Amino acid sequence: MAADTARPILEATGISKHYGGIVALDDVDLTLYEGEVLAIVGDNGAGKSTLIKALTGAIPRTSGVIRFDGLETQIESPTDAKEAGIETVYQDLALVNEISITKNVFLGREIVRDDWLGRLFGVLDFKKMDSEIRALFSKLDIRIADIYRDAQAFSGGQRQAVALSKTVMFGKRIAILDEPTAALGVRESKMAMDLVGSLKDHGLSVIMITHNMQHVLNYCDRVMVLRLGRLSAVRKVSEVDGDMLVALITGANEGDA
Amino acid sequence: MQIWQVIAALAVIYLIFFILSPPFRSFDTLLSIFGQASILAVLACGTTIVLISGGLDLSVGSIFAVVGVTVGILLAEYELPVWVAVAGGLALGALLGALNGTIQVLTKVPAFIVTLGGLTAYKGLAEILASGRDLSRFPESFQAIGSGYLMPMAIMFVTALSTGLFLTKTRLGNRAFAIGGNAEVARLAGVPIARSRIYYYMLGGLLAGLAAIMEISKLNFAMPARGQSYELFAIAAVVIGGTSLFGGRGGVGKTLIGMLIMQTIIVGLSYMGVGTSYQRIAIGVIIIMAVYWDVWRRSVR
Repeated sequence: MAADTARPILEATGISKHYGGIVALDDVDLTLYEGEVLAIVGDNGAGKSTLIKALTGAIPRTSGVIRFDGLETQIESPTDAKEAGIETVYQDLALVNEISITKNVFLGREIVRDDWLGRLFGVLDFKKMDSEIRALFSKLDIRIADIYRDAQAFSGGQRQAVALSKTVMFGKRIAILDEPTAALGVRESKMAMDLVGSLKDHGLSVIMITHNMQHVLNYCDRVMVLRLGRLSAVRKVSEVDGDMLVALITGANEGDA
Repeated sequence: MQIWQVIAALAVIYLIFFILSPPFRSFDTLLSIFGQASILAVLACGTTIVLISGGLDLSVGSIFAVVGVTVGILLAEYELPVWVAVAGGLALGALLGALNGTIQVLTKVPAFIVTLGGLTAYKGLAEILASGRDLSRFPESFQAIGSGYLMPMAIMFVTALSTGLFLTKTRLGNRAFAIGGNAEVARLAGVPIARSRIYYYMLGGLLAGLAAIMEISKLNFAMPARGQSYELFAIAAVVIGGTSLFGGRGGVGKTLIGMLIMQTIIVGLSYMGVGTSYQRIAIGVIIIMAVYWDVWRRSVR
C-alpha cells in the first residue's frame, strides 16, 4: 500500500467554503500520497465537487492552507494549480463542444510557432500540436482518428478519454478527476477506469470523486468520505467493503475523522 | 450552416433577381452591390469576432459616428496629415471598443446593456464634438480611401482576409471560439477570459473606426447622424451568413456572403421598384429566418 511508505505530495488543511451563510465545506483536511489513487465519496451535496474546486483554485476558498511537497503554495486560480503540476478534469466542464479535439486538448496552453509570426501575432503551430496529440493517443491507446472534428461529434467515452489524456499531457504531478464515469455506459466506464488506472504508470498521483463503490474497491488505494460538507472518515480500501462505505456515506456509521 | 450553403443561397437570390429584372443584369449592378457592401462589411468583420466570442456590441454604429466626426475635425479643422488623422481615428475606435469590454468585465453588467448604453452615450459624444462645426472638403489624398469601387472593395477584402487569418490561425483568435462556446470550460482551462474579451471588443471598435473613415472619405463630409443602425445591419449580415448568435461558431467568410445576400436583396428590390420600407420588412423577415435556422439546428443536436 502506497500510503505506508510514500510521502505526502499534497496536504490541504482546514479547507472551508461558505456561500453567504451557507457552509458548503467545513474545515476539511486532505492528504494525497505520492503514487496513490485517493477516492472521494459522499452523497449528493456532500461537498465533493466544492472540495476539488476549492483545491484547484476554480472557486475562491473561505479558508484553508495547501502544502505541496511540504511547502505552502498559493493556489488562487486554475492557472496556479496547473503551474504547480495539478491537472483537473471537472465534471461537465472538460471540453468545449464547438472546437476540435486538438484545440480542446491544448486550450489555454496552445503551442505558438517558433518564428516571427508566432512571436508577433501568436500564430499557432497546428502541425506540432497535432503530432503531439497523435503520439499521446497512441501511448494511451485512445482510438480517435479524426482529431480535427468538433468535440461535439464524439461519444461520452471518447470525450472522457480526451479529457483524461490532458492529465497525462500536462499534469506533471497530480490528476484530479470529478466523476470520470458519470453518464458513461458500462463498456465505456471500464475503458475510462482502465485509463484512470494507468495514470499511475505515467507518474501521476490521483484524486477521484466517484459514486461507484466498485470503482473505489477495484481502482483506489484510500478513500475519504464526505458528509454534509464535513470529512467523516478516511480509510484504506483494503480495510473496507461496499456496505461499510455506504454506511459511512449515509451516516448510518458516524465515522471518526 | 456550411459556407457553401450560404454561397448557394446567395447564388439563388442573385439568379432570381437576374431573371425577374432586366436592368439588374448589368455589370454595374454587381459593382454597386459590392460597393454598398464594402463599408458595412468592414464593420461586420468586427461584429463577427465579437459574436463568435459570445459577446455583443450594439454601440459600433455610434463608435462609427464618433470616429467619423473626430477624423473630420482632425482633417478639416486642424488640417493634420492624412495618415495622422487616420491613425488617430483607428486608435479612437479601438479605445471605445475596449472601453465597452472593460466595463463589462469589471461590472459584470450584460453586454446588451453596456453596449446599449454605449450606443446612446457615444452618439451624444459625436453630436457634442460635431456641433457648430463644418466638417467637409477633405484633402484629395484622403478622399481616395473610400471613393469609387476599387479602394473600398480592396479594403473590404484585405480586412476580411486579415480577420479570417486572425480567427483561424492565431492563439487569441482561436480562443474566441472556445470562450464563445463555453466560457467556464475556457476559464478552467486557464484561458484569461476577461483580457481576451476586451481585445475582441477592441478589434470590433477598430474596424468600426475603419468603416467610418471609409465612409466620410466617400461622402467628403462627416456628421454625427452617420452610422445609425449600422450595428443592426452588421449583426444581420453576420447571422444571415450563419455565424451563431450564441457564440462559438462562425467565420468571416460567411459574414461577407451574408452581407452580399443582404445588399443583393436591397439592390434587387430597388431595381424592381420596391420601396425602402418594404425592403426593410424583407430584411427583417430574413434575419428572423436565419436565427430560427440557428436555433433549430441547436435543438436537434
